[in-house]
Amino acid sequence: MRQIIVKRLSMLVLVLLGVTLITFFLSHVIPGDPARMMVGQRASEETLQEVRRQLGLDQPVWVQYFTYMQGLLAGDFGDSIRTQQPVVDDLIKFFPATLELALTAFVIAIVIGIPIGILSAVKKDTGWDHAGRFFSIAGISTPVFWSGLIGILVFYKFFDLLPSSGRIDLTVPPPPTITGLFLFDSLVTGNWAAFGNSLWHLVLPAATLAFAQLAIVTRQVRASMLEVLGQEYIRTALANGIHGPVLLFRYALRNALIPTITVVGLSFGSLLGGAVVTETIFSWPGMGKYVVESIAFLDFPAIMGFTFVISFGYVIINLLVDLTYYALDPQIKE
Amino acid sequence: MSGMTAKPESISTMATPKTVNPFWYKIRRNPLTLFGLFLLLVILFASLFAPLLSSYDPTKINITQRFAPPSAEHWFGTDEVGRDIYTRILYGARLSLGVGVAVVFGAGLVGTVIGAISGYFGGKLDQLIMRLMDIVLAFPSLVLAMAVAATLGPNLQNAMLAIAIIKIPVYVRLARAETLALREKLFVKAAVTFGIKPWRIIARHIIPNALSPVVIQVTLDIGDAILLVATLGFLGLGAQPPTPEWGAMISIGWKYLLDYWWYPTFPGLALFLASCGFNLIGDGIRDILDPKANR
Repeated sequence: MRQIIVKRLSMLVLVLLGVTLITFFLSHVIPGDPARMMVGQRASEETLQEVRRQLGLDQPVWVQYFTYMQGLLAGDFGDSIRTQQPVVDDLIKFFPATLELALTAFVIAIVIGIPIGILSAVKKDTGWDHAGRFFSIAGISTPVFWSGLIGILVFYKFFDLLPSSGRIDLTVPPPPTITGLFLFDSLVTGNWAAFGNSLWHLVLPAATLAFAQLAIVTRQVRASMLEVLGQEYIRTALANGIHGPVLLFRYALRNALIPTITVVGLSFGSLLGGAVVTETIFSWPGMGKYVVESIAFLDFPAIMGFTFVISFGYVIINLLVDLTYYALDPQIKE
Repeated sequence: MSGMTAKPESISTMATPKTVNPFWYKIRRNPLTLFGLFLLLVILFASLFAPLLSSYDPTKINITQRFAPPSAEHWFGTDEVGRDIYTRILYGARLSLGVGVAVVFGAGLVGTVIGAISGYFGGKLDQLIMRLMDIVLAFPSLVLAMAVAATLGPNLQNAMLAIAIIKIPVYVRLARAETLALREKLFVKAAVTFGIKPWRIIARHIIPNALSPVVIQVTLDIGDAILLVATLGFLGLGAQPPTPEWGAMISIGWKYLLDYWWYPTFPGLALFLASCGFNLIGDGIRDILDPKANR
């Protein structure tokens, strides 16, 4: 176990180094002349040289990379060209909203996806199975931005049940910031008005984001349940008169969940990608909306800061998933 | 698709009637796969015969007709400058299908060559290539595609390139795994003994034999690639207006959603159906090829 952790951690360092190399390459080498982009086409040659010196662009590339890394390690991603603020401050400001959205979607996907997966496996090749399958394929085939639009159209415009944008109504004061997660903060402070209102705002974006994830969860649960249900210990249990929910949940599901955790954990990355689109559609004030607005400005420090943070989070999640996997399955403890 | 026909022999272990191609037999048994095939044929038909199916010009502006709701004249309504949305969707099908296919074929080709080289030579080169691929895989795919497309500049070619880049590692891994097995085969060893140059062995003996898992992966990936292209288009990083690309149409149309619901809704529906068609077929193929599913 310890060996595995050490091995994975060294791999992690390597991958993160690679991530910095790619983001550095993308932000410093490809976009022609960042200094020219900052000062604009009309600026004089002296101003250009001055900005170039300030940015360190007159240095050799490896020195620039070293400086960039020094900054990263100190938590400095540079200043956003659009907001004129340090990118780190911007990201910290928008992070809790994204986390709240992603976590809620994740929970929805699991709570709905696992039962559908089990049902599909138990009722294999029946109408249930086909319906579950169609549902999950529809999930991965639906562009997140489109399902969001349809959601707004149906639940906001036609039925007027749910709000179409934002985290909380302007008339409701947001809860005091503890974690920045509105649901959690309002629950802890007993602010029921804010809790209800932010939950109400969260439903549509989270459901939209969860829809695509649902497919992944359902398919994986179905596949691993089918595999587990075909094994001999299940047949033995059946022969011993164990059946129904006890067999399904106590005997089969536990083992079927191990591969599910891996796949679902890995799919968290697409959840983060999906959040970018969902936030844009629902004007959700998170990192995704921030980066889309930055793209329109070709604000590279912001784009790369976002890319780095998301990839960093993704790599860490993958590591945690792997470790859970080892912890859960006694068979892989070499 | 020709690579597909090579596979049935190896999977025809199940009891299927001898007279029918087992692959086709199994596809026919699955109604959802058939439905996917149907969807795809409809879209293919629409894209091939777009000029015959509509009398409008996909890019011609007609201000007097702006935001016309769906009617007998404009089945899916018109957009903010009076272009017929139905017509734009038809022409958009050409673009989306073409782009999706081109991206995965490009990524498949490049990935196969890299994977074959990596697997054949092994050693430090192999290590280097595989670690590089791990790094690309360490990014959440859409986020990396966004970063690459934003850096290269927002247009369709760069969006395609960005998506090809994130797709390549999968093919590298597939082709490498096949190559590692092929390298030990007698015919490859014989070729080495005859003094045939490595690049020739890779091109003539390894790659042709490593292709079938790659071809399968390609068919599975097309739907995803179409969605990714449209997503970049939606984020303003793909095809630029007035190109009738579905994602780009939605990118402008969604701002008018509450007043003119048809504008973003129909291009989105087309996108959904296309991607659904590919995914249903891919799912069917996976089912047929997966020995675990044949229980």
